Formats: sequence, C-alpha cells, structure tokens
Amino acid sequence: MRQKILYLYLEIRKTLGMVPRMFLQAILLMILIGAIAFCGVKSMEKKPLAVNVDIGIVVQEENAMTKMALAYIENMESVSQICSFRQVSEEEGTDLLTEGKLAALIVLPGQLVEGIMNGNNPEVKILFPENARLEAMLLRELTESGAGLLRVAQAQIYGVYDTAVEYGLTDRLSQMEMEIDSYNLAFALDRLALYETEMISATGRMSALQLYMSSGVVLFLLLSGMAVYPVVQQEPLAFRRQLKRQGTGKWWQCFCQWMCGFVCMVLCVVLSGGVVLLLKNAAATVIKNESGEKGLSTFVLSDGNSFLVTAPETGLAEKIGISLLVIATAATLIYFLYSIAQSKTGGILLIFLCSTVAVYLSGGLIPSPFLPKAMQAVGDRLPTAYMMRAVGGLLAGYEKGAMIRCVAGLCGYTVLSALGACLLRGKE
Amino acid sequence: MITVTDITSSYGRKKILNGVSFEALRGDCVGIVGANGCGKSTLLSILAGTLKPKSGSVLYYDREAWKDNGSGRMRGSLEVIRKMTGYVPQENPLIPELTVYDNLRLWYPDRKLLQQELEQGFLSLLGVGEFSEKQVSRLSGGMKKRVSIGIAMAGMPPVLLLDEPSAALDLVCKEDIRKYLQVYLERKGTVVITTHEESELDLCSKLYVMKDGRLKETDRELRGGALVAMF
Repeated sequence: MRQKILYLYLEIRKTLGMVPRMFLQAILLMILIGAIAFCGVKSMEKKPLAVNVDIGIVVQEENAMTKMALAYIENMESVSQICSFRQVSEEEGTDLLTEGKLAALIVLPGQLVEGIMNGNNPEVKILFPENARLEAMLLRELTESGAGLLRVAQAQIYGVYDTAVEYGLTDRLSQMEMEIDSYNLAFALDRLALYETEMISATGRMSALQLYMSSGVVLFLLLSGMAVYPVVQQEPLAFRRQLKRQGTGKWWQCFCQWMCGFVCMVLCVVLSGGVVLLLKNAAATVIKNESGEKGLSTFVLSDGNSFLVTAPETGLAEKIGISLLVIATAATLIYFLYSIAQSKTGGILLIFLCSTVAVYLSGGLIPSPFLPKAMQAVGDRLPTAYMMRAVGGLLAGYEKGAMIRCVAGLCGYTVLSALGACLLRGKE
Repeated sequence: MITVTDITSSYGRKKILNGVSFEALRGDCVGIVGANGCGKSTLLSILAGTLKPKSGSVLYYDREAWKDNGSGRMRGSLEVIRKMTGYVPQENPLIPELTVYDNLRLWYPDRKLLQQELEQGFLSLLGVGEFSEKQVSRLSGGMKKRVSIGIAMAGMPPVLLLDEPSAALDLVCKEDIRKYLQVYLERKGTVVITTHEESELDLCSKLYVMKDGRLKETDRELRGGALVAMF
C-alpha cells in the first residue's frame, strides 16, 4: 500500500511540475473560446424585425381625402416598421402580386371616404398572392382578424340604429354609438387580448450569454485535454510491468493517472477562473443587483455593455460538488480518448474532433432547436449535453429533479469512460 | 539457488518456450544467448513474474515462484518473486519527467535506506549518487541503465535478472556495469543475463544457447563463429 500511495504522490508531483506550461496553453485556449463565445452572443442579440412587407395600393380615384387616409395608415408606428406601401395601377399590382413581389394588393374604390361617411360603404378589395410567403400569410391572418372586428362593429352599429328607430330612442342614438365605438376601440387596441402570448426561447431557461458561457466552459474543459497529454500518457511498458511486479496493478496505475489529469484540470480551471476574475475587476462596470436576489453575480463587459449573470443561492458545497463532477467527467472523457488513440497526435486530433462535434450536437454552438431533429436526439444524450446542463444550472439556477438526472448522467458517463480507458490501457 | 523446470510459453499458437530447464547456484552467473526473437526475453519475463508460463515450475531458494496448481493452471507467487529477484528489463523502467532520486524513492520507500545506499551502498557503487538530482529525461543511456540496475537492486534480492543490459551503451558504461556485476557475484548473488555482448559472457559460470524454445548448455569459453553456429 505504501508503494501505491508513493506512486500516486510521485505522479501528482510530476503533474504539478507541468502545470505552468499547461496553464499557459489553457489561457491561450480560453482566449480562443472567449472569442468564439463573444461572436456567438453577438449573433444571438435581439435585432429589429427584419421582415419587410411590400403592399401595393390601387387608388381608383385620387383626391385629398384618400391621400390623407393613406398617409395616416402609412405613418402609423406599428405599420411603418414592417410595411412599405407603394401606389400602383391595378394591372401593374396584379402582375407584381403574381411574381411574388407584393405581399398584398389593396384596391381602394372611388368615393371611398365619402361612401364611408354616407353609409354606402364601398367594398375595399385586398388581394393576396396564391403562393404566399410567411409575411403574406401573417398579413392575411391579421387582415382577416381586423376585417372580422370591423364586421362585428358595423353589425353592432346597424343593429343599434334599427333598434333605436324601432323603439323611438333616436335621441339617444349618438350616445349608444359612442359607447359601442369606445367598447370596440378598447377591445381592438388591447392587442394582448387578441393573441395568446407564449414566451419561447431557443436557449431554454438560459439567456444567450449563459448558454454560450456554459458551452464555452465545457469546450474549454475538453479542449484543455489537449494540453494534459504528458500527465495522462501511459508510462513506458517496462515501468508498468515493474510496478505490477511490485503489486501496483493496472487499475491503480489508471486511477493515479486519471487523478493527475483531474488535479491538473481543476488547477487549470481555478487559475483560469482567477484570471477571468482579475480581468473582470479591471474592466467591468460594477452593476448593483437591483432585484435584490441573493446569489453569484458575474459581470462581463461586452462592447460597453455589462451583462448580469445571476445564479440563485444554493449550497456552496453543492455547487462545488457539481463543478468537480463536471471536471471529473471531462477528465475521464479525455483519459478515455487518449486511451483509444494511444498516441499524442492521435489523441489531440480525437479530442478536438469529438469535443467540437459533441458540443455542436448538444447545441453549444448553435442552439438545439435550430438543429435537425435527429441531431437534437443524439446531442441530447451526449455527455457534453449533461455537462452543459450542469454548468448552465450553476449559472441560471436549476430544478432539483433535473439536476439529479444530470448528475446521474454525468456519473454514468464518468464510470463508463473510466472502465473503457482501463480496459484499453490494460492491454499490452 | 534457482531451479527452472520444463517451462513452456506461447503467444497464440506459436510456441516460444518448449520445456526450458536449468539450475543456478549462489554466486553463479547464467548467460543465455540466442538469435533475436528466440525467447530469451520471454524466459526472463517469466522468471521476473511479469509473464505467466503455460506450464512448468520455478523455484527460488526452494520457494515456489511458479507452479502448476494441479488443474493445469499456473499459479505464481509475486511475493516470492519480488523478494527473491531484481529485474532489469531492456527498456528502462523510469519516469522521465522526475528526478533520479524521485524515481528511486518509488522502489526504496525508506528514505534513510535510500540515502545510505546512495552514499555507501550499491547505488554509490553504480555512481548513481553523482546524478541523483538530475531529471531522468536528461540522462545518457548509460546513466539510465545504472539507475535501472539500482532500482532492481532495491531490497537487495539474491537473484538479479538482466535482459540485454549493455544494448546500445558505450564501452565505458559496459565496463562499469560489468564491474558492478562482478562485485554482486563476489557477494554471492546469482545473475541470469541475456546478452549479445561477448565481454559479458566472460562473467558467466554457465552458458546456455536458446534455440527452438529450448535451452542447451554449452562450453562457457565458446565465442565468435563457433558460438553463433549453435544458434
């Protein structure tokens, strides 16, 4: 037993001697991943709606009233952001509609305003293309719901008018019409009452920043494995045989090397975390956590803006435990990949390929909902997905049940990878 | 005393050792020569306990190291092998990133004993003390081999097994190792050595040629073409 402990001690000593070099490599890697994460966050930032709906208007008889009505609609805030109107002839408009260059064609009849005023209500035609694109379909839905509202309002007005005449209440007609108008306006203007509101996010519970932070941490952990080869490489066969002769078997040898890889990665994470904190303190603007929520707050400066990342208060021991488990899983996966490759170059290539592909499939580069279903299904079961969930949970908070499943998954992958690595390394 | 009886070993269907037997007494140096791949290293690995024979038995000073347990399965006693033998494989069993001292510590758990050995024991005889603080990766081949012998000598085993100890070493190193083995033999240690070096054969009290998986004792004075003719 004494020799086993001594072997572990010497392996750890060997590892500590290599840490400065590996730390420098880790820092370079962190800068690279930081740049990727920054680009990812930037690309996920909210942009104004890029939809532009072209609408053609045919005015059969142009006069001051029609112009005024058109100008009013064009300048409405909600319309001007997404719609652009152009006046066309009926023939030209029909051609553009057929070619798909217009999302709708509105044909305004002559005497439109006068007709509305005197109650003739001339018909306004709204034509949609047959093979409508998304914006045209959306516009049709909105138009139909708007037309429905107008129909109801008009029916109410006519109904009230007929009733008032029937019962001799014409003196109260204007008051009744005003009440109907105000009711309908209140209903139409409260847009939320018309639509169901459902918040959806491609990044799930996490914000885009939290998602890219968690995938960045996982990618950093896995790719830092490229630097730990000297620690987890197999000792020369003669040495292993000599150790075995002295009673230190392959399982203990594997455990010692794995432990060294783990220690090395913990140190790299702690040191890199320290560097991040130093940079943060030097560059970030301190924001008060106004919500008053207890928890970790990290401020990351990005293009002059500060992001607030809040983790809900959970036990420190729990957080440390989850963090160590994630690192242990990464260390074991790296150990397993080196065992498959059995060489430095092969191992580095394998780690790079497996890490990037697995993180991609797990939605760490492009959020999962944007990936094909089959990729989502595979990515969801990969160890990187569990690692990202665990890190994401630490950043954005987590439900107990979900985290227990996540921890079980991580433990499962750790044990399987460790067994696989030991079996592969046991072969002489 | 070593008694090796009818040792057989094979890799897959290929028989490597086919009934190897020999004896060596205290103070004997047994030399084993033969063509490359004839099974010399396999035999030494079995004697050192890193490889399991298919059948046969090995006794060190009447203590069973390998024996047939009756059902055709071989049972080895690592404890006996560990106590009785020191093994110097062809490749050096060293961690290159550590110093010589740290490497030695793994095999000499008692620090005081290690210091004593470095100052006035076998390790000082090997000259290891002079470079004990150097990193192994910076040592020459001869220095590494001396450290390997030093490691094999941890616990002062009565039997020393050396697998081509002089391969790829310069003349000075070869001579140093030869001198060291002479001292070990004078102190009544038993040496089993596989070699391609004729100078090392001068140390041998018994000389065996390995051919077709068998050992054949030959005249220990035989050298050059006459010896090669027996391979």
